[in-house]
Amino acid sequence: MSNRKTMIRFFTIADYEEEEIWLREQHKKGWKLMKTILPCFYIFESCAPEDVVYRLDYKNNTEDHDYLQIFHDYGWEYFNRSVGWLYFRKPVSNADTEQDSEIFSDDASRVDMVNHIVKTHMLPLLVTFFACLLPNFIRSVEGSHPFADVFTVIFSVLLLIYLYLFVHCGFKLRMLKKKYGDNR
Amino acid sequence: MYSEVRYIEVKQSGGFMDSKIRRIYVPMTESGFYILFCLQQPQHGYGISQQVKQMTGGDLVIGAGTMYGTLSKMEKDGLIAFVREEEKRKLYQITGLGAEILSLEIRRIERLYKNSKGEKINE
Repeated sequence: MSNRKTMIRFFTIADYEEEEIWLREQHKKGWKLMKTILPCFYIFESCAPEDVVYRLDYKNNTEDHDYLQIFHDYGWEYFNRSVGWLYFRKPVSNADTEQDSEIFSDDASRVDMVNHIVKTHMLPLLVTFFACLLPNFIRSVEGSHPFADVFTVIFSVLLLIYLYLFVHCGFKLRMLKKKYGDNR
Repeated sequence: MYSEVRYIEVKQSGGFMDSKIRRIYVPMTESGFYILFCLQQPQHGYGISQQVKQMTGGDLVIGAGTMYGTLSKMEKDGLIAFVREEEKRKLYQITGLGAEILSLEIRRIERLYKNSKGEKINE
């Protein structure tokens, strides 16, 4: 049985480029990603060190088999799926040119992916925030039953995490869009 | 034959949709143009990318994500249509609406080219 290790990392929905770089570095060190559990547990298996490009695509709807077929034809190995993210990899030695190691070849399609993330991931989270978390927070602050204080603390922490993530992701996604040349 | 059927459908759907589609696709991205151009013959995603690679001397490599995204968008907008499946791969072909958009693009690019050479334009 080969060696396994689990690492804990948290990448937000706006940090996919960092995640790709990190996974590539791990593979260079001889650790290939097997799967992810929840958004933060990464399970690696030891392997021969190799330069392998990792790419993440975001697809909220269930992808049809033609989607995976096209990626397969291009030489991408599909190996993991986690909350809307599909994980692909390809050894650098199999890529003829630098373009072969990209899944998006123009900025228009990169911007499309960011918009897809915002529309199907971030907006639903915002709705959850205003519809569930915020009213509960207010209720627990105003509440007088014995556990009100405990709830207030829990909701405050959740609220802060949420707020931090929104600000971080909002800025980051806007920055990514700018980088991809979208000035709208 | 297939594209003829689609053409009739598009004609019936009226002019409003056309102008909206025109605004989205004229001008279009280089990848978009080549994909639509190649689909004058039935073809699947990877086949298109190989053809484009050849046509551009290896300069334009359309990524897998860009290819899939463009194909599904164009199919949704009625520029191309699914024809049949071959060895688990979906084959698409241009529709009447797609052909109209393509010829608009070609005319635009021709004019651009002529102007860039300082040639006279007679339209």
